[in-house]
Amino acid sequence: MRRRSLIRRGMGRYIPTLIAILCVGIYLFPLYWMLISGFKTQAEIFADPPTFWPRYPTLDSFRVVIEEQNIVRYLRNSLMIATPVALVTVVLSAMGAYAMSRVRSRLVSIVLVIVLLLQVFPEALLATPVFVIFKAIGLVNSLVAVVLATSARSVAFAVVILRPMFRQVPIELEEASRVDGCSQFGTFWRIVVPLMRVPLLVLGAISFAQAYGQFVYPLTLLSSQDLQPGTVGIFSFIGAEVADWHHVMAFSSLFVLPLLVMFLLLQRRIVSGLTAGALK
Amino acid sequence: MQRRNLFFTTLLLVPTVYLLSLVGFPVVYNAVMSVQEVNLGDLSHFARPFVGLANYGEAIADPTFRKVALNTGVFVVVTVTSLARSGLACWRRCVFHAVSLAPAICAVCCWRPGFCQAWWLAPCGSGCSLRKYGVFNYVLMSLHLIGSPVNWLSDPAIAMSALNIAHVWYGMPFSMILIAAALTGIPDEHYEAASLDGAGPIARFRYITLPAITPALIAIGCLVTISALRVFDVIFALTQGGPVDATNVLPLLSYQASFQDFDFGRGAAIGMFAFFAVFGVALAYVGTLRREAVT
Repeated sequence: MRRRSLIRRGMGRYIPTLIAILCVGIYLFPLYWMLISGFKTQAEIFADPPTFWPRYPTLDSFRVVIEEQNIVRYLRNSLMIATPVALVTVVLSAMGAYAMSRVRSRLVSIVLVIVLLLQVFPEALLATPVFVIFKAIGLVNSLVAVVLATSARSVAFAVVILRPMFRQVPIELEEASRVDGCSQFGTFWRIVVPLMRVPLLVLGAISFAQAYGQFVYPLTLLSSQDLQPGTVGIFSFIGAEVADWHHVMAFSSLFVLPLLVMFLLLQRRIVSGLTAGALK
Repeated sequence: MQRRNLFFTTLLLVPTVYLLSLVGFPVVYNAVMSVQEVNLGDLSHFARPFVGLANYGEAIADPTFRKVALNTGVFVVVTVTSLARSGLACWRRCVFHAVSLAPAICAVCCWRPGFCQAWWLAPCGSGCSLRKYGVFNYVLMSLHLIGSPVNWLSDPAIAMSALNIAHVWYGMPFSMILIAAALTGIPDEHYEAASLDGAGPIARFRYITLPAITPALIAIGCLVTISALRVFDVIFALTQGGPVDATNVLPLLSYQASFQDFDFGRGAAIGMFAFFAVFGVALAYVGTLRREAVT
């Protein structure tokens, strides 16, 4: 009896660790697979059984992707979409969330319901009316169109996350600043925004990543290949008959780098930022 | 006081107008388009022939539509139940050992949006892992879980399960972190008191954990349902709806009608069905939030 409970206690300690290792493994394995496949030769990609470490590592795929497949242009387009989206999201959602956290009125609750409802509509369905509207006002086939459509999604999401966080800024600070003669906007800009810089940074990073991975809007709104970001560009490698998977993998490895760097730098802050306001 | 109101109203209205014009207006305009004939010829001006419910009729008469609507329902139900289950299963025990598990899960959660984006499933999923001689089959066969290689994406009977697995893989960190956040809100004293009174692990889960997180679970359920209803990238990347529409869902069907057949009216009409489904769930979600705010 005593021994059994000892075993159970021992297992109780190790099982969560095992589950954790398994979870992390399941999530990190595809990343590992992508990285090593870029170094494989075409023959080794299709080898059966698959090899878990490249037998004859080569940089050839990376050379092809950089020199022949224009990854630089795709990367530039992706960044030119993601950066303005992140900026617009941070500015607009900070304004909206601040106002909603400070004012209690009918208007605010109506706006909140509108925002909550608007953030759920699927992009793939919105693509049809957005395309027709943008076509009619002559905005189709420009990066501006993609930025507008994408940022509207992330603004709604960001307002929902930021609103409870703005509420945590003590109102006494603002009153003190008003007493000292600071204007309404000055209080917002000099007191509240600096206090909220971490959540705003995290939200900027998340909306950057979402816009970087945005697929539906570039696919439908951009017809010229010169404007397409990497998310759409990757499909040009995948033909119906044959696909050069080692090139695709090398492309993915390079394309993911900006995001990996950003998330490594911000890891801790992103987790706390996501959990704090996720449900309210 | 007057100026204060003006300031906050401006702050409030700028993002609201932005959202209404870029999301709200398209949603309304979609309803308008669904009763018009919209094709490539009359795209550039807003006045188009009114055709009543013809687009809806055409959409429903198509046998593919019924199959796809059913697919969507199956996809949503399977994904949501397995997400809720996996999230709970992982966290029910581990909330007591949160120290060892939390960093790992958190790392995964914040890495996920970084690299596990849907564009990336195309090369990794269909290209390497889920092929007949891909690494997924290889691992399963080495573990003797399957006897012969499975055609994950080209067998109509299996492709949907493969997509469910992919979507659950893709969405699990999100539901896990939300369930974890809800679980950490339960005070330890409740469990201690229950243990003293002789409640076993199952009773503790049934009478303490479950009631405490039910409101959160409903909210999470709504969010996950919505995310399953809007799935597009994953399916587009892995199967493009095939084989023979076995994995097609409403958003993808609407996209195909609009951007492959260039029948925007029918695309809008198909979209309306999914809009109503999403809208219903979203209203339920807003309802749960409101109840939470009151208590």
